[in-house]
Amino acid sequence: MKNPIKLEYYLAALIVITLLNTFLGEKFSSTTLVSVLIAITVTYKGFIVIDHFMELKGANKNLRFLMRLYFVIFPSLIIVSAFY
Amino acid sequence: MKSHPIKNSLGIFPKSWSEEHAGRIPGNIPIWVGILSELTEFGIFFAAYFIAKFYYPDTFAQGPQSLHTSLGVTNTIVLLSSSYFMAKAMAFIRVDNKIKCERYLWFALSCGVLYLIIKTWEFHWNTLQGFSANTNEFFTVYYYMTFNHFIHVGWASCAILWVIFRLRRGAYSSTEHSGLEALAVYWHMIDLMWILIFPLLYVLR
Repeated sequence: MKNPIKLEYYLAALIVITLLNTFLGEKFSSTTLVSVLIAITVTYKGFIVIDHFMELKGANKNLRFLMRLYFVIFPSLIIVSAFY
Repeated sequence: MKSHPIKNSLGIFPKSWSEEHAGRIPGNIPIWVGILSELTEFGIFFAAYFIAKFYYPDTFAQGPQSLHTSLGVTNTIVLLSSSYFMAKAMAFIRVDNKIKCERYLWFALSCGVLYLIIKTWEFHWNTLQGFSANTNEFFTVYYYMTFNHFIHVGWASCAILWVIFRLRRGAYSSTEHSGLEALAVYWHMIDLMWILIFPLLYVLR
């Protein structure tokens, strides 16, 4: 089994980011900066799951591209919606 | 009759999409057709959210404050953990360790069931607070998204049970585990959708 410890690190990172996002949302009222930070972290979380849990890194490049594109488009809309 | 040398392919995609050119397809092609269909479905949900938020910004700014954030956070951690357990199950079937593979599948299933219990409690809690799908536009979108996601977790949990049954019957090994891998990528897709749903409904004001 390759890199047996790595998955644990990724899980820890995902949980920390989730808690950080919640803290940002709870403590700071709607600001563009908070929305941008949340959008970036959502993209990062998506990329981690796609590459390391779904194991698309090193697998089919088209599927990986489509999945990652999804996690660029919708977080971008979060940023756009901050300017409503 | 001459057989076609198409392996793990429906033969309907361009050559550049073939495994030889683009790389290995985890699971099988039918599950990816399903996954891409689900992504489209959830994409429509997300589009509906952003359109509704554009027209009702105040409702969507107040909406998350009415929700039980702790339950949303807990469910996020539960689903992330389930994805981790599923990835571990895949790692163990690759080394033919079926006992540990099954153990991690049970862990993943437990997370799925825990998610369903927490979500049911959250729906009940909303009802006690007087919230329903008809309360306002935010709650319409909230129930539209989360109940659909709830159903996906439900049937994917049933699929984990099926895969455990198949694993016990000796259907999977280090050389042949495409069925297990197909479930794994589907499960991760469900987790990915929650990664997007959570900030939209619980965090962003």
